[in-house]
Amino acid sequence: MLQNKKRVFLEALLLTLLVFLLGMLVGVLFEEKRVDVIKEYYIQSEVSLMDIFALNNFANLKDVGCDNLRNSNVDFADRIYEEAKLLDRYEKSGRLTDDMNLQHKKYDVMRTFLWINTMKYNELCEEKRTHTIVYLYDYSTKDLSIKATNSVWSKILEDLKEKYGHDIILIPIAIDSNLVSLNSILENFEIEKYPALIVDNKYVIEELSSVEEIEEYFE
Amino acid sequence: MDFITIVFLLYSFIAFYFLFLFILTYIQNKKEFFSVPSITKEYSLSIVVPCFNGAEHIEDTIKGLLNLNYKQLKKIIIVDDCSTDDSYAIAKKFEKKYPGKVVVVQTPKNTGCSAGAKNYGAKFVKTELIGFTDDDSHPEKDSVNHIIGFFDDEKVGAVTSTVLVKNRDNFILKLQSIEYKVIKFSRKLLEFLDSIYVTPGPLAIYRKSVFDRVNGFDEKNLTEDIEITWHLQYQGYKIKMAVPSRVYSVAPSKVKEWINQRNRWNIGGLQTINKYKGTFLKKGMLGNFVLPFFVLSWLVGLFGIFILGYRVFRTVALKYLSASYSVQAQTAVLSLSDINLTISALVFFGLSVFFLSLFYTIFALSNVKEKQYKRENFFTVGFYMLFYLLAYPVILIISLYKFLKGDTKW
Repeated sequence: MLQNKKRVFLEALLLTLLVFLLGMLVGVLFEEKRVDVIKEYYIQSEVSLMDIFALNNFANLKDVGCDNLRNSNVDFADRIYEEAKLLDRYEKSGRLTDDMNLQHKKYDVMRTFLWINTMKYNELCEEKRTHTIVYLYDYSTKDLSIKATNSVWSKILEDLKEKYGHDIILIPIAIDSNLVSLNSILENFEIEKYPALIVDNKYVIEELSSVEEIEEYFE
Repeated sequence: MDFITIVFLLYSFIAFYFLFLFILTYIQNKKEFFSVPSITKEYSLSIVVPCFNGAEHIEDTIKGLLNLNYKQLKKIIIVDDCSTDDSYAIAKKFEKKYPGKVVVVQTPKNTGCSAGAKNYGAKFVKTELIGFTDDDSHPEKDSVNHIIGFFDDEKVGAVTSTVLVKNRDNFILKLQSIEYKVIKFSRKLLEFLDSIYVTPGPLAIYRKSVFDRVNGFDEKNLTEDIEITWHLQYQGYKIKMAVPSRVYSVAPSKVKEWINQRNRWNIGGLQTINKYKGTFLKKGMLGNFVLPFFVLSWLVGLFGIFILGYRVFRTVALKYLSASYSVQAQTAVLSLSDINLTISALVFFGLSVFFLSLFYTIFALSNVKEKQYKRENFFTVGFYMLFYLLAYPVILIISLYKFLKGDTKW
């Protein structure tokens, strides 16, 4: 009797496996599609970054004007800041694959490049310095307090960006991406805990602060 | 893939599996779904009605039983379990009016459980079949006739019926009405898998010789109707369900009563699992499906509510911390960036399970045609799917706590 009953149990199992695997496949494709969108953005940003590098190198040979350099840096920063927000949304909803993590890491490298580039710009155009805020956060933390702090910092920085627009370069970088370049830069700052802000490559803010309090660090 | 995603996928897999199992079982047996064997022999029958403080409904119950058109119904035995209301006097009126047909007996002292009164009443039964109905249940006129034919198969130990909610005056009753119909549909499907796990109190008929062989109901078990069914399965008897045989039962109309009833069901279920745990992966469908199914339901329910609770706690804590930090940093507590409308691939899994379950529920509801009641509306079905079913695991925790504490009284 049990043998006869077993058939429907097996049929249900096979059907479930079929539907489930199909669902997984569709799910993975769905997430891959998003990764493709980010990759596409990344390639475009990479081209822009190379372009800025070229411009900066050329500026060492010939005067191209600080406004020109400043605008290219700020535009690029704004662009990858917007892409970071999209990446963040996709990451939060990405469940089946880890591909988005790699994209995040690639963007962190790019943002580190941008940070180095703004340092160079500020040296080159000391009179037309632009405010730079580097937001360093723990990307994969499970600690609720740190996650809450991260989310509040994001809002504060958005307010700041809204207020200053083109006059500020905002660079969020995950410190747990384990980037050699980033780690080397950070050695120059005495940072005891994350998240932290580095204002104008000089001041480190580790405690949550209002927009007004951050403004006080601007020179 | 993180832990929560793995859990979510595992739950989806389990849900898909059981839904497909039931759907395939229905497809393969749909022609036999409503069929009942015709009566070739009219077995003598007595029906025992355990009654404790059932004055409100006992009159209607006895009238309903007297109205049954099964000719070999010899006796209706009302067992008053030392009620403190008028139940006994009401039943006695019928005994006087229908001498020999209605017999009213009283337990020497309150047994404290339905099983005690049922077993006491069974002592007065001399017929081939013994039926039981609750003191607030009302079988339809031809309900017994639909059941009798099953007993031509000597391996059949018990036959159960379709239990429906009689009172549907408020929202919780309407929700239970949906639940009873879904349970009824599922129970018949389980019959095709030889896996009926309960012969509910509102109307079930047992072969008397088999009933005696298993020593009747287990009076220590809170759900004697589950225990006896497992006992019959354990002894190798078949349990059948006569879908056209209907009985209307009074369901709890208040949330507290409903919770108490569910606690009793759950604790009784745990007692039964504990009693038959030795049959795991043995003893035919009892050990290979019914017991694992019960155990899995408990594990899935408890673990699910634990995970859900953990997630809710983390989300609330995160929102609270974010809000307080936002106030501290003089920024907006809520902003558009807090709202993430980006759909996860897991949402599709969740929606697929939900809609497949909804389809199953609606199909089960459409399987019961009732002239005297309105059809369930969309809102009630939606509420049942989204909230009512979610309350189950919460009650499981209370039941488990009571069970572990040894609080296993009626």
